[in-house]
Amino acid sequence: MTRWQPLGLIALMLASLVLPGLMLQGCDAPKQQSKGMGDLMGSDAGYGSDSDAYAKVIPGQKLNFPQDHLAHNDFRQEWWYLTANLTTDTGEPLGLQWTQFRIALSPSSPESPTSNSSWATNQLYMAHSALTTSNTHKANERWSRGHPKLAGTTASPLTIALDDWRWQSEGEDLFPATLAVNNEDFSYQLTLTSDAPLQRQGDEGYSIKSADGAVASYYYSQPFIEITGTVTLDGKRQRVKGQGWLDREWSSQFLTRQQQGWDWFALRLDDASTLMLFQLRSQPLSSQEKPFFSARRMFADGSGRNIASSGITMKVTDWQKIDGASYPIAWQITIPSEQLNLSVSPLNPDSLMPLSVRYWEGPIQVSGSHLGQGYMELTGY
Amino acid sequence: MSSRGASSITNKRANAGINRRADKGGQALLHATRLTLKVFVAHYRKAPLQAGAILIGIVLAVTLLTGVRATNESAIDSYGQASELLSAQASNLVTPQPGKPLSESLYFDLRAQGFHHSLAVLQGTALDSTQHRWQVTGSDLIAALSAIAPSSSEQQTEEQANEFADSKMPLSGPLPLAAMLAGEPMLVMSEAQARRLPEPWLNLNGVRIKVVAVDEGYKLGDRLLMDISLAQQLLGKPGELSYIALFDPPGERQPQLTSLIKGRGELVESDNGEAMKALTNSFHLNLTAMSLLAFIVGLFIAYNGVRYSLLKRKRLIIQLQQQGVRRAAIMIALGLELILLVLLGSLIGFILGLQLSFWLQPMVSVTLEQLYGANILPGQWRWQWLVQASLLTLIAALLACGSLLRELLNQPLAQSSGQLSQQRSSQLAQNRLMLLACVLGVITLILMPLSQDYRLTMALLGLVVIAIPLALPYQLRRLIALLQKISPKGLIGYQISETRELLAPLSLAMMAMLLALTANIAMNSLVGSFEITLKQWLDARLHAQLYLRPPASQMAEVEKMLSQAPEVTGLYKQWLLKSHYQQTPIFLLTRDPYSIEHTSIIKQARPDLWRAFFAADADTPPLALVSEPFAIKQGKQLGDKIQITALGETELTIGAIYYDYGNPYGEVIIPPSLWHRANLGETPLSLALTLNTDVTQFSQQIQTRFELPQALIYSQEKIKAQAITMFKRTFSITQVLNSLTLMVAAIGLFSACYMLTQARLAPIARLYALGVNRRQLVWLVIGQMLLMVLLTCLVALPTGALLGYLLIHKVTLQAFGWTIAMVWDWLAYLELVGLALLASTLAVAFPLYQQTKRPLVSSLQREVI
Repeated sequence: MTRWQPLGLIALMLASLVLPGLMLQGCDAPKQQSKGMGDLMGSDAGYGSDSDAYAKVIPGQKLNFPQDHLAHNDFRQEWWYLTANLTTDTGEPLGLQWTQFRIALSPSSPESPTSNSSWATNQLYMAHSALTTSNTHKANERWSRGHPKLAGTTASPLTIALDDWRWQSEGEDLFPATLAVNNEDFSYQLTLTSDAPLQRQGDEGYSIKSADGAVASYYYSQPFIEITGTVTLDGKRQRVKGQGWLDREWSSQFLTRQQQGWDWFALRLDDASTLMLFQLRSQPLSSQEKPFFSARRMFADGSGRNIASSGITMKVTDWQKIDGASYPIAWQITIPSEQLNLSVSPLNPDSLMPLSVRYWEGPIQVSGSHLGQGYMELTGY
Repeated sequence: MSSRGASSITNKRANAGINRRADKGGQALLHATRLTLKVFVAHYRKAPLQAGAILIGIVLAVTLLTGVRATNESAIDSYGQASELLSAQASNLVTPQPGKPLSESLYFDLRAQGFHHSLAVLQGTALDSTQHRWQVTGSDLIAALSAIAPSSSEQQTEEQANEFADSKMPLSGPLPLAAMLAGEPMLVMSEAQARRLPEPWLNLNGVRIKVVAVDEGYKLGDRLLMDISLAQQLLGKPGELSYIALFDPPGERQPQLTSLIKGRGELVESDNGEAMKALTNSFHLNLTAMSLLAFIVGLFIAYNGVRYSLLKRKRLIIQLQQQGVRRAAIMIALGLELILLVLLGSLIGFILGLQLSFWLQPMVSVTLEQLYGANILPGQWRWQWLVQASLLTLIAALLACGSLLRELLNQPLAQSSGQLSQQRSSQLAQNRLMLLACVLGVITLILMPLSQDYRLTMALLGLVVIAIPLALPYQLRRLIALLQKISPKGLIGYQISETRELLAPLSLAMMAMLLALTANIAMNSLVGSFEITLKQWLDARLHAQLYLRPPASQMAEVEKMLSQAPEVTGLYKQWLLKSHYQQTPIFLLTRDPYSIEHTSIIKQARPDLWRAFFAADADTPPLALVSEPFAIKQGKQLGDKIQITALGETELTIGAIYYDYGNPYGEVIIPPSLWHRANLGETPLSLALTLNTDVTQFSQQIQTRFELPQALIYSQEKIKAQAITMFKRTFSITQVLNSLTLMVAAIGLFSACYMLTQARLAPIARLYALGVNRRQLVWLVIGQMLLMVLLTCLVALPTGALLGYLLIHKVTLQAFGWTIAMVWDWLAYLELVGLALLASTLAVAFPLYQQTKRPLVSSLQREVI
């Protein structure tokens, strides 16, 4: 699955961090405009020539575990992305999200004579957390530089952390693990287990992001996670249980110049299968040109089937206007080769993430040829 | 100038007006008012000088008022908005424990425990290649920047969403974050500072650092900002922090926070600049008082202008009334005219005032920064100032001119300009003013000894300042009468007699002049006295020849070497840390016993001080020496008990109060034994040496041996010179204002003399026609004016001395806590007299010179006042 949203964030970060530095040398820096996701999608300002200096995503590279759970600092961007569809003791549905992003500010670690400080780094971390019920949606953001005591990953045991938002595995593997996220307005402590093998997306983890295959990432998922834990919302503590989905992705260049945004789906169907699906839009949705699709049907035994872009049809069935922008919150998805004809609708239509970059992300229900649950992410609107 | 032209126009227009008086009531009044205004406009067009004099007064008054106000408020705002650099305002600070550095590990622990809205900061000073000292602030830049952005959807409102768009700016702003986070030698400074650098590089502590300039919106002031990765290296403090800023109030997590910090740092609630406000209060009050003084002087000038222009229009107004224009209409027209002039003058004054503050602000911020360590940011002006200044001026002008207007309107229509009755009424007024002055004087006399607070003293001083000019006309009249008695008959007798008649029209300008002179004399004696006191104090205070302040890391090594060096005949140490008494920041310090005993210049002490002070052991309550500023500001006496934050529960008894002019903060000296018992740090902050060899040579020797920057070694002379420059700065801004006030008064005197001489051209011409030659006439006129000015200066001598006495022994003592012996500076006084004489001579000579160019008869035809 394509955590495209990070791409936008990274583009933002790069545009803001790297470019102004260059502009300063011109001394007369024009005023930077505050950036919307759309602008970023339209202009891949950050992906300048020096993206060559970062490590490249090449086909046929075998993913290596447990090392690949850790940060890949020589790639430009990376994320650890968990979504979960849970139920409270009283039977109420609830969705939650935790994401930790890593952004490299330069291709190589600091080397200047004054930089032999533990604070000196070329790595920047950002994390998002969100909690969604049918009538509330809360989201938070954290930032930190890469620093062993502040933000980053450790191998043994595996930790992915920023401040007190912390994924803590028991050993070097991802599972079993605990995830703790604390905020003023909500917090959660989860226990995560999974027996299913990891799913490598695309070609053994090499996942292309455009029809011509010019841009790609390393991408693997764990769509079968059992979760129990507690959630505190507005001071009320509740026990929860349900299923989760973890995505791992890293690369050095993600979007082509034309791509504007993406719509991504993680679906858990009632036949014990899961479906990862995304589309990358080069044009507004209304236009005739077909976006680039990618999908994979996955099973708990580790098997799965990739679905070609041409075999996928998606149609918006409902829009929601939030803060002046319209988001396509309901869809009709048809994949004839898999006998899938699915209607997707949100648990809470107002699941906007009003953070450094605005995007829609929240739990969804599936009906049609199959029943199910999952998560949807809409960016670039 | 003549209003005859204007009045002939008036006659015609007024006649026309009367014919149209068919429509009744309000409309008629409105019409008449409009007509009268038109006449006045015509009058002023003929005599622009009169309108000019009024305007000048108002403009000057409002300029100084607004200028100082803008300067003051921007400084005070700066304390209040003291947010972390590039970031938000902290609610709490975690500061080091006394004598121990603050470890960065506490910051990591705080964040790991979820106190994520926090910021690690390291501050220090670094020297550039020209030995200039820079304030360096290093912070965790990402934490600083992300603290401004809302991190939670919970906090988002419509408004915040908009703000958010702006708050993202720092992230997308001009900071080269990638390079800064990587620890590359790069720092950020304000554009204003960067412009002063010859190149965009700065050599700090030997490291060549690239300078990135950012606009004033980043509120850097004079500080340099860098990432903590570089700052720790540059300041030689790896792993250390100066403080941790906590942006969120801990709320119910307070116990967790307290236990986390316990033994590692101290939690201090941010006071939003309250401490700084308290510290600088007296400084700002000083400025405000000076600006009010200037305002009053300006008003005097304006009042004088109004009065003069009314006098000149007396006949015109009578004519208008004779033509049937109602009094109400004239009154409204005069009122409107005044309002118009006030508004125009205020607007111009406001604009000039902002310019003035733009000019004053750097001076003030240097003073505040050097004296109090306050950071001043460029301020913003407000429209309210204009409104307030206009209202204040308007009210003052209406109050001042009300009686004039009433008098003017109540004059009988048939009255010829009766000089005699005018003379009598002005004498009566002078007597009344004198009486009022006496009443004010008596009130001050009674209340002054009771006042302990500098604010009350300042207010009482205000009464004196008002009383002094009020008494002037009476005094001048008496002095001239005295002269009249002893003067010879003839032309000189005529000259003096006529001077007495000039008294009434000139007295207002003289009052303004007197006020400015008095203030100036007082201020001069304050500054002069202070300098002498300071020098004497420094002589006694600085016993050693060389003072050094090596970095803490080198201290032990330096100390060891010095104690063994044969050239060193005495080695003295000082330990110092910043602490708090109640909420006020103070310095807590100790020295070696010899230094304490021989360099503390005691003002008051308990008997047998030194034995009791040094004998203190763990069982007896310890004694402390407190500085005079501390004692006065905190209202402490000998024998009072105090508790200092750094010493916890330990109670100190004040054993002595010593003079201190070296520090705007309060100081408390404790015995060295107590310092060590309280574990406040073993390493001294600074060392002092007496030598049996050449000081310069020895200091160079140490400097090269330990690679100490020059700025950390002071010879006695250097300290003295620096101390005096620095403390002169405290007064430099008041002195500037003072000179401005004097300038305002000089302009006032000039315009008054000029107008008066213009008005007197006719009698002068008459004298000329009677056979007095030009030369004699010039001497006559100039002599009269100079006599007046000299007499005013004579009055200013005792009043200036009185004001100076009160400033030194009351206001400065109470506001700053400095006892100063008053020293009288004759030279400065004579300079002032010279300036006043020059202004008036010029003012008289100019119209006289013009007159010589005109035919005699035209002068003869001019009106008499």
